[in-house]
Amino acid sequence: MTGTLAALAVLSVGYILAYLLFDRLRIRFGYVGGAEYVLLGLFLGPTGSGLLSSDALRDLTPIVSLALGWMGMLIGTGFRLPRLALLEPAWVGIAFTESLTTFATALGALLVTLHYGLGMTFTEASLPAAALAAIATVGVPAAVDALARRGFADHPFLPALRFTARVDALVGVVAFGLALGVLHVGSVEAGVRIPTATEWVVINLAIGIASGVLFHLFLGPRDDGADPADGDARLFVSLAGAIVVASGAAYYLNLSPIYTNLVLGIVLANTGSTHEPVARLLAATERPLYLALLILAGASWHPDGSGLVWVALAFVGIRLLARLAGGRAAGTAAQDPALRAPSMWRALLAQGGLGVALAVNYTQVDGAPLKEVVLTATVASILLFEWVSAAESVRALPGSSPPAPAATP
Amino acid sequence: MIRRLMVVAVLLIGAFLLEPLRVPTADVVAPRSLFLFGLLLLVADTLGTFFHEVGLPRIVGFLAAGIVLGPSVAGFIPPPVLGDLGMIKELAVGCIGLLAGVELRISEVRQRGRAIIGMLGGQLLAVLPVLALVVILGRTHIPFAAGLTGAPLLLVAVLFGAILSVNSPMVTLAMLTETGARGPLARTVLGVVLVADVLVILLFTVCFALAQSSLGTAQASMWGILGSLLRELGGSVLAGAIVGALIAVYLRFVKLELVLFVIVTVFATAAAATALHFELLLSLLTAGFVVENVAPVRAEPLVETLHHISWPVFVVFFALAGAELHVQEFLGLWPVIVVVALCRGAALRVGASRGARWGGADAATVQWGWMGLVSQAGVALGLATVLARRMPGVGEAMATVIVGVIAVNESIGPVLFRRGLERAGELGVSGLRPE
Repeated sequence: MTGTLAALAVLSVGYILAYLLFDRLRIRFGYVGGAEYVLLGLFLGPTGSGLLSSDALRDLTPIVSLALGWMGMLIGTGFRLPRLALLEPAWVGIAFTESLTTFATALGALLVTLHYGLGMTFTEASLPAAALAAIATVGVPAAVDALARRGFADHPFLPALRFTARVDALVGVVAFGLALGVLHVGSVEAGVRIPTATEWVVINLAIGIASGVLFHLFLGPRDDGADPADGDARLFVSLAGAIVVASGAAYYLNLSPIYTNLVLGIVLANTGSTHEPVARLLAATERPLYLALLILAGASWHPDGSGLVWVALAFVGIRLLARLAGGRAAGTAAQDPALRAPSMWRALLAQGGLGVALAVNYTQVDGAPLKEVVLTATVASILLFEWVSAAESVRALPGSSPPAPAATP
Repeated sequence: MIRRLMVVAVLLIGAFLLEPLRVPTADVVAPRSLFLFGLLLLVADTLGTFFHEVGLPRIVGFLAAGIVLGPSVAGFIPPPVLGDLGMIKELAVGCIGLLAGVELRISEVRQRGRAIIGMLGGQLLAVLPVLALVVILGRTHIPFAAGLTGAPLLLVAVLFGAILSVNSPMVTLAMLTETGARGPLARTVLGVVLVADVLVILLFTVCFALAQSSLGTAQASMWGILGSLLRELGGSVLAGAIVGALIAVYLRFVKLELVLFVIVTVFATAAAATALHFELLLSLLTAGFVVENVAPVRAEPLVETLHHISWPVFVVFFALAGAELHVQEFLGLWPVIVVVALCRGAALRVGASRGARWGGADAATVQWGWMGLVSQAGVALGLATVLARRMPGVGEAMATVIVGVIAVNESIGPVLFRRGLERAGELGVSGLRPE
């Protein structure tokens, strides 16, 4: 009894103190991360106070699946074809060159690291390496947005940078989804032929597309006369239902709910009239779900993975290397001098909630190797890169000097 | 509506087609539970909209979705799936408790205190004796009373009346949220159900201990049980006050990420409630009450957040509550259940109206206030579960009748409450959320 009360008291006071500390860091150095939430999760989880037991974490799967799917759908709804058609072709080239180079570099380096470092065969290492490479590739425009707030809003390279961050997210999630399909783990019902890698990929894609079409029909046309508060509350329930159903289908098959919901989001974004309220609602509720994922990642973490620390450190280095390679490749290949930005990688370091989402998703894949290593490496990488991303991003823009330090409000 | 139901049907067919490819999983809730939970949300939303369009409360649609998909009717959602979703329901109960607490303002309690006491007293003084009398007079037709005579019959009958005196804070809050009603009837009914929640639990404990003694099934003395309950209630209130103080500190110094903060608070309190044996709903109700009445200005963002998340919370709670109702028990005992439900309704009408008049309530509350007290849900079901578990034989048979009566009251209660609010002129225009 005393232990529980003490744990609750420490939790509350510790959280408020941590928040105040991180809030000062946020003001002083532009820190954008959520380390305090990971620490909070660690304290709540079985490794810490045990207020959230392993069984409780398991029971929270519906919320986790909702958060994972939410992330996927949010990225998907950003890819609306009529808007994409208006983009500068050069931006598209830069974005995909940067993303694919980053992924390929990270994948190669991780395969070599896991093969020689942990003694795994290349076949055994392929799934965790692909998952970590996908996590290394994902990015969020948080640091780019921070740049806009710090006086670079009109810089001509900023839209290209923001689009690149979105493409990073797309490439990361698609690579992760495809890896779970191509390198599928787990058995199926006795007497049923195990689908081939191609069939798993097609099944995964088909679930996303079919879910998208069905939920397009389910949501129906937008009712312009409806009360917005009423509409948002109902839309939230419908979307939550849609995401949990699609995630449930993906879990059924040991596939990625993030990828399934990304496809669902792309279909919804490009059909019907509900894409705007859907995208608005998803964006408005992203942050609580991101923070919930950080807490759950902290709570799920336990220090019993082999080679945990050095692989985590190696991953941080590999991610930095991959980002550098991707940024250099894309930044130097651009034909337009205004878009030539070899330092663009500095603005693409932030991983946001998506990195955690992919790692948490990986830990839920039954039979996947090195789950703890992937989670630890991701959490370490996020804590570090979220810390430095805002400060580094100011050096990413071509022809810009760093602004004066932010004034204390 | 039809389009939506067809989509749900296609999803179900798709689930059957995927079944052979299902991969065994560990460390996550069964994917089937997840899939069915999503489906339940979609069907609840669809039926809620349909019921709203035909002039009925949305929560009746949510309940109907749960009943239809649950083990009682179609059986799409088997009991193990409901077990898997227990934590989600706990989150919903906690959020509702917090919401109930912040809705209870001390100034309003003072202002309507006499009316609340009057209605509550009238309700208890009418419902309990009437239902006890129904059991005594109809004992040959009522399974749990057959064969009982003298003191055991009387005490079992009083226990039955005590359990069915309880109301439903969940339904009341959901209805106030859905309709946006904020008038005297709405506020008085809310006050009555919240106070009754605590009072009836105490009453139940006394009656339960007496009935157990008379039947010879007692495992502890009445004073022992009462003492344990008082400790539990006192502990809940104390824990709630501490949680409320912590929330107030958070609102004072941090005040950000309130959605997440509410979820973490509910889970942390639930974990502490399990470890320290106190009641989650009562604790969070107290916490909300402390926050609202100690620092009302700072509580505004919390109140706003709770209203924002209330609708999804109600959908989840009532859809799961519907799925947990055992409708098949109603079929075997329907004449008894209908008679008991009608007698309870009539007693409520007379008792609550008289009590409200004595308490100086306004005319609309005197006339229509009883309609808000018909609903029963979580608390009554909890008491029935305790009864079935701790009083083998008579208790199990009584719980079956009680669950049937709750099913009726849970279904018609919201409809009646809406009608009462409508007649009192307190229905909001269209809002799901109050202004």
